Amino acid sequence: MTNNQIFEIVSKQLVLLNETFLENQKITINENTILFGYGSSIDSLSLVSFIVDLETLFFDEYGFEISLTDDRAMIREISPFDSVATLVDYVFELVNELK
Amino acid sequence: MYKDKIVLVTGASRGVGLEITKHFLKHGATVIGLSRVESLFNHNHYYHFSVNIGDPESIVNCFKKEIGKHFKRIDIVINNAAVMTSQYSMIMPKKNAIDMVNVNLLGVFFVSREAAKLMRNKEPGRIINIGSMAVSLEPVGDSIYAACKAGINTLANIMAKEFSSYKVTCNTLSISAIDTDMLHQHSDIGQEKIKEIIKKIPIPRNALIDDILNVIDFFASDRSSYITAQTIYLGGIN
Repeated sequence: MTNNQIFEIVSKQLVLLNETFLENQKITINENTILFGYGSSIDSLSLVSFIVDLETLFFDEYGFEISLTDDRAMIREISPFDSVATLVDYVFELVNELK
Repeated sequence: MYKDKIVLVTGASRGVGLEITKHFLKHGATVIGLSRVESLFNHNHYYHFSVNIGDPESIVNCFKKEIGKHFKRIDIVINNAAVMTSQYSMIMPKKNAIDMVNVNLLGVFFVSREAAKLMRNKEPGRIINIGSMAVSLEPVGDSIYAACKAGINTLANIMAKEFSSYKVTCNTLSISAIDTDMLHQHSDIGQEKIKEIIKKIPIPRNALIDDILNVIDFFASDRSSYITAQTIYLGGIN
């Protein structure tokens, strides 16, 4: 699975999340979109939902059992949730380890 | 009353869990039963999965590989499975203490967590924990058991906050003694102790299964959407 494919999957999931937001809360989706922390407009429960959906999707559709919030993710100097790009890189790393 | 509802009951193979299962089936629900052992119970709308509620991996695998795939959603969860050893703390076997924490506390956490993921839809969701009078009465010999049951009250209260935006309510029904296998597992001295405790509660009798089903129906009702983070004790205990 390539970085671009993962970006597409993450982006599609964010589009679905965006559909649950009010018009004035919708986020712009690109690789620089901030997912968590300062500068993010995604509330924490929506982020939780997004993570659950992404983990489920990777398992159900592609057979990859990944955990995006385990200790390893949390202690990284650059958080996987800093931006879409860092999340894609992290998922890429996890998926390639499982190959 | 529960037509088109999908209900998950842990500890469904016997005792209170089996009675709860039959109740939901009788009123039109589809029931997913979880328990360590195979179930001898048969019904067209009953689906049983062998799961060790004391093992998080067993729970997560069942949800990922079976329940999530076959059912897609859950409407009501009854966290009923429990194990109990009543013994003075200083001589409580280590394994029994750990089993109680794993099944009675962590099991409730992991089942609720996985079920909640399948409750994120437009339908209201209900998580109902079966608690115990031991939390309030704190009987000698029940330190770990009561602590775990107190823990599930707290789990429900916090999950109520976390899941409210998904229209999922989380409540606890704390039952008094009921004539089940678990009660009979006690020694004669243990059963005498329970009789003495029951004599002192405001309504001094064991709970009947209908006492339990009545409160479950209340918590499970679509009308109870504004009832969450509550613990109801039976028999006048508070």
